[in-house]
Amino acid sequence: MKILSLITVVLVGAALIYGTLDMPKWGDPHSPASTHVSPYYLHHSMDDTATPNVVTSVLADYRGYDTLGETAVIFTAGMACILLLRRGHKSRGKRHV
Amino acid sequence: MFEFIVGHYNYWMYIGLMMIGFYAMMAKRNLIKKIIGMNIFQSAIILFYISTSVKRGATVPILEHAHGGHGAHHAVDVMQYANPLPHVLMLTAIVVMVATLGVAVAVCIMIYRRYNTLEEDEIIMSIRRG
Repeated sequence: MKILSLITVVLVGAALIYGTLDMPKWGDPHSPASTHVSPYYLHHSMDDTATPNVVTSVLADYRGYDTLGETAVIFTAGMACILLLRRGHKSRGKRHV
Repeated sequence: MFEFIVGHYNYWMYIGLMMIGFYAMMAKRNLIKKIIGMNIFQSAIILFYISTSVKRGATVPILEHAHGGHGAHHAVDVMQYANPLPHVLMLTAIVVMVATLGVAVAVCIMIYRRYNTLEEDEIIMSIRRG
């Protein structure tokens, strides 16, 4: 079992290292990640949202639905934790009775 | 060749971290160790995304002198600020990471209450015994 998972991990790692051969260099300002949509955010953040902190304006304004989904995730996780732990408490009480 | 290694070894570091986490998730028998492996895996992904936002010689994406001047908008130099998008995505990913960690630990608490152990093989044996 341990050997099998070790082989899987090494295979996945080798595939990923093969994938990094085409990646842009560290700190490259012309990498694909920073040439498509992020210049728009940097240029228009002040006009569109009047927020100098671009991370905040993208989080709460341009991608507000993303943040809404994130709060839904947190709500679901909190409810799951509460339900799991409360049900365990109740059944334990029943067992003692 | 040397320049290639200097430009890419950060990715290999994250892949090493990811492999550690992945191995812990698959091979360890203790459930808490599996959760720790999952967190290492997620941290590696977050570091990878943050490293794609780096621009050499750039600073944090907070616009300088944005409220200065009389409403005059001067051009923003994109090369001067790091890419804000991966930061935002990883802010969301950190929140999801905390959510999964909370649910996983809650499930572990339930398993411990039911079986009095967190070792996977002991749990399977006690299930088979009925």
